[in-house]
Amino acid sequence: MKLTTKTCTAALLLLFIIGSVQITFAQAPDPGTPGPLGFTREEYDFGDTAFQPSNFPGPVELRASIHYPTSLAGGPFPVIVLLHGRHATCFNGSGGQFLEWPCAPNHQPIPSYKGYDYVAEVLASNGYVVVSVSANGVNAVDNSVFDLGALARAELMQKHLDILKQFNTTGGAPFGTKFVGKFDLTRVGTMGHSRGGEGVVRHYVLNNSLGAPYGIKAVFPLAPVDFNRFVVNNAALNVLLPYCDGDVSDLQGVHFYDDARYNVPGDQAPKHYELVMGANHNFYNTIWSPSSSPFPGATNDWLSFVQGGNNDSHCGKGKTSQRLTEAQQRGTGLAYMSAFFRAYVGGETQFIPILTGDAPPPPSAQTSNLFVSYHAPDNPELRLDVNRLLNDTNLTTNTAGGAATQTALTPYQLCGGPAPQPQKCLPNQFNAQQPHTTPSARSPLRGLSQLITGWNDLTGNYKNDIPPTLGNVSGFQALQFRVSVNFADVRNIANVAQDFRVVLTDASGASSSVRVSDVSGALYFPPGETGPVPKVVLNTVRVPLTAFGGVNLHNIRSVQFTFNEHAQGGVLVTDVAFASAPR
Amino acid sequence: MKRSLINRSLAIAIVVLSLLAASSSFSLAQRNSNSANKDVPLREIMKLPGKLLAETKTPAAGGNLKITGYRVEEVTLPRSVTAEVRGQQVAVERAWRLTVTGGPFPVRAMPAVIWLDDQIVGYGIENETLSQITAVTFDGSLISEGGVVSLSYGENKDDRVTLSQKLQLKQGGGN
Repeated sequence: MKLTTKTCTAALLLLFIIGSVQITFAQAPDPGTPGPLGFTREEYDFGDTAFQPSNFPGPVELRASIHYPTSLAGGPFPVIVLLHGRHATCFNGSGGQFLEWPCAPNHQPIPSYKGYDYVAEVLASNGYVVVSVSANGVNAVDNSVFDLGALARAELMQKHLDILKQFNTTGGAPFGTKFVGKFDLTRVGTMGHSRGGEGVVRHYVLNNSLGAPYGIKAVFPLAPVDFNRFVVNNAALNVLLPYCDGDVSDLQGVHFYDDARYNVPGDQAPKHYELVMGANHNFYNTIWSPSSSPFPGATNDWLSFVQGGNNDSHCGKGKTSQRLTEAQQRGTGLAYMSAFFRAYVGGETQFIPILTGDAPPPPSAQTSNLFVSYHAPDNPELRLDVNRLLNDTNLTTNTAGGAATQTALTPYQLCGGPAPQPQKCLPNQFNAQQPHTTPSARSPLRGLSQLITGWNDLTGNYKNDIPPTLGNVSGFQALQFRVSVNFADVRNIANVAQDFRVVLTDASGASSSVRVSDVSGALYFPPGETGPVPKVVLNTVRVPLTAFGGVNLHNIRSVQFTFNEHAQGGVLVTDVAFASAPR
Repeated sequence: MKRSLINRSLAIAIVVLSLLAASSSFSLAQRNSNSANKDVPLREIMKLPGKLLAETKTPAAGGNLKITGYRVEEVTLPRSVTAEVRGQQVAVERAWRLTVTGGPFPVRAMPAVIWLDDQIVGYGIENETLSQITAVTFDGSLISEGGVVSLSYGENKDDRVTLSQKLQLKQGGGN
């Protein structure tokens, strides 16, 4: 094919529009590849009404699937517990769906807990025990309680861990003594989808309040709600956010990450999220996916719940659609759940670069159109906060103690955090278009404090001085920050990616700069035009320090953003730091 | 027939008694007219008998949620309780149930929210067949003639599906 200038320009423009460019500087094996171990799937079932959560208006079933390495000789194995979200609970033979528990005569349960078998199989084949919990009894009545079922889900999780503990110690029906000594309940990971996502966060807090009888090492809320604003600290956290979520369309689960960052001094746990472009809410569960499920209630939530969603250029069905298929979408779930649990529960640290964004999405993800964000542990060897941008003081004095200054930037102010900051950064846009500040149903807490800024000519500059005592950054891997193009700022050109440069200057006055677009696609113009999209999600840009040639990394004196790549524009920024991957 | 009436009365009595028992800690506090209250036994209020104040049904289901109508009921609580209504602590003896009918409504992560004009009546509770969503409020001033009933998932006003029929109270209804 002959490449004309026109073709090249079109290709470049397409890259800008898709925004999927993410230059990476590390490699990692694929965590989503099936492992060498044979695995077995079984279930245990103690009945539809076997459990009564406290102060909850209905009974809950004790039913779960368990995937485990068929040869248990290598145990004890780390344990991963999965929890589905809110969905119809029962169905009948004529396609009817119901929200009742237990199911009425002639109705049967919808097995939402079976929807993550694709993850459980891969993890089990790699040496993990994976338990997926049924929670229909919670779903049937959770809108009747104030916290919308978070505590009931947490108690259900704990109950299942108690059951596993019994299997692991004395044994019990239906497995006898088969699993005695085979579960390592000091190494547990939890994943919850949708309301289950908040459920596993609430469970982490509950388990700690009970003296941490189980060693929860890693918590993975998937497309979660965050009604109550509980926080995970001191355990690894990973939130997966589907850009085209038609149910939790405000991506409120990003609060889990935002709230956890600086919440507990000395928190040694890494925090991550992935923004998966083109992904919806339901396809992560096969039982909720119309092409995979024989059960009523399976639907493409973007098309079903977003008015006019069919026509959206990114999330809809047209020629420009970037929507992922069910299989592709589950690929992203498989890849990042596997990487996360294998890294932080199983200690397979070779997968960490995938979670920091230093390595590209693995082949099992089936797409590269996603953005990875990472917050390093609060450890001076792993993170030096340059500017947390938490309050107005940080507009003039940064977190490192140096001066924060700007040239030709307007506005130059904080938004989204606690009063007196404005509650929303984009005052005329829907809450669903600004996840970091979207209100919470059961909490008055505000959202993420961010710098909202922009430039009108090529002289725009944002500078953070580094005190001499902190100038040796040579031990860090990268200079990083979170950023989003502000789609509501008319200085940005619709559907064209932004760009600027990051400049390090050392004590001798030598400088080195890196163009953001050379290391990250995070400055994409947020795609879509229907309902909850476009939306601003601040994605991490990690600039490897090896990219800054000609400066003395042992004596850095400032970090600058120079807005001289595009004549004008507007962005949202937070979390400027030198950081390394967890060890 | 007589036996079923007796059973029904017995069931109501049990519900009322259990509500009375629960009401020792029946401290009602509302947030912005939203029945977002930790101590309200909504499940029980849903089961109490109510006086019909307004009801409408249309044969043609409207919008993607297939809404066919609404129903407003006044519920007499078993005892006077203190509730926060529009920022004030007041004694309330009544609650109002606003039910939207149609569906089958989807079971979603985001809760259904029922509105009257621009005020949130409350978070909705689906019935078992997903043909009704009901919200409870203690603020009777919301129930006013001509009010516009709408439904959203989450509190985003812009996502509301609005019923074409405005609130039409029966004679003697309303607050």
